[in-house]
Amino acid sequence: MKRGELLGSLEHIILLALVRLDGNAHGMIVRREIEERTGRNLSIGAVYATLERLEAKGYVSSFTGDPTPERGGRAKRLFRVEAAGKRALQISNQTIRSMTAGLKGHWGTI
Amino acid sequence: MRRCSPPTFACWLLKSLLPDPYREAVLGDLIEEYRLRIESPSRFTASRWFWSQTCRSVPSMFWCSLRSRGCFISMSIAVGVYIFMGTLKFAADWIIWKLVAPDQATYVVLAPIVFLTTTAIGGCVAARIRRGTTTFLALIVMITVAILIDVKVCSIPVPWWYQFGFLTLGPLAVIITPTLLAHLKRPGAVT
Repeated sequence: MKRGELLGSLEHIILLALVRLDGNAHGMIVRREIEERTGRNLSIGAVYATLERLEAKGYVSSFTGDPTPERGGRAKRLFRVEAAGKRALQISNQTIRSMTAGLKGHWGTI
Repeated sequence: MRRCSPPTFACWLLKSLLPDPYREAVLGDLIEEYRLRIESPSRFTASRWFWSQTCRSVPSMFWCSLRSRGCFISMSIAVGVYIFMGTLKFAADWIIWKLVAPDQATYVVLAPIVFLTTTAIGGCVAARIRRGTTTFLALIVMITVAILIDVKVCSIPVPWWYQFGFLTLGPLAVIITPTLLAHLKRPGAVT
């Protein structure tokens, strides 16, 4: 496995949130999804910084939506997971599964 | 409509400090969420949330812009402008000493004026050359002032708030002056 294919923890969580949202999602929706599921109160800046990193790696793509009045006339930036992103998620999940296999009895001592 | 507006200064900070590609998206997301939050708990809670998001988002996005393409060009320009500012300040100090020959008390008054003027000029020059350079320049100014305070380069005894003023107002002058000037040039512009 190449070094570039390893996902950071925030990258992993954000990619999973994008997959869960099943389609095009903007930063605040991703932030809300993570907060509701994990209780982690991320800043919107951290979400966008990670999304930009994922986009640079080719794991997600983005496009600009239409401006709306409730956003003060500002357009949304919508993100979707690309095939490379799904592959990276699979590799990352597989790595975690492999490393956690057989550790059930050890959780109390870790 | 005005009641639904998020904190103006926080919006201005985000507009000034966030890197170009995500500025509109981040601001739009925050405004949308703020308007949702203002309805359920209270305006105060929503404003506090907006401020917390602003303060936590700026460093992440700033770091992100550092890593993105073009940051080294901005950094080099900032260093160049800082050297220009230093030369300007040195020249101004020299002229003051030669022409006015101030005593210690007068110098304590003149020093911040010279410092803030040169940092403001530096900020304008940096913004004119390349957008986003002012943030780097402000950081350089802040670090330099902190080092100078730490090594106690000033032999004149001054209170702590005097030095703290240099540490905070210098970087602020670098960032705020170009934006203020741009607004003054466009008085009818909607913020």
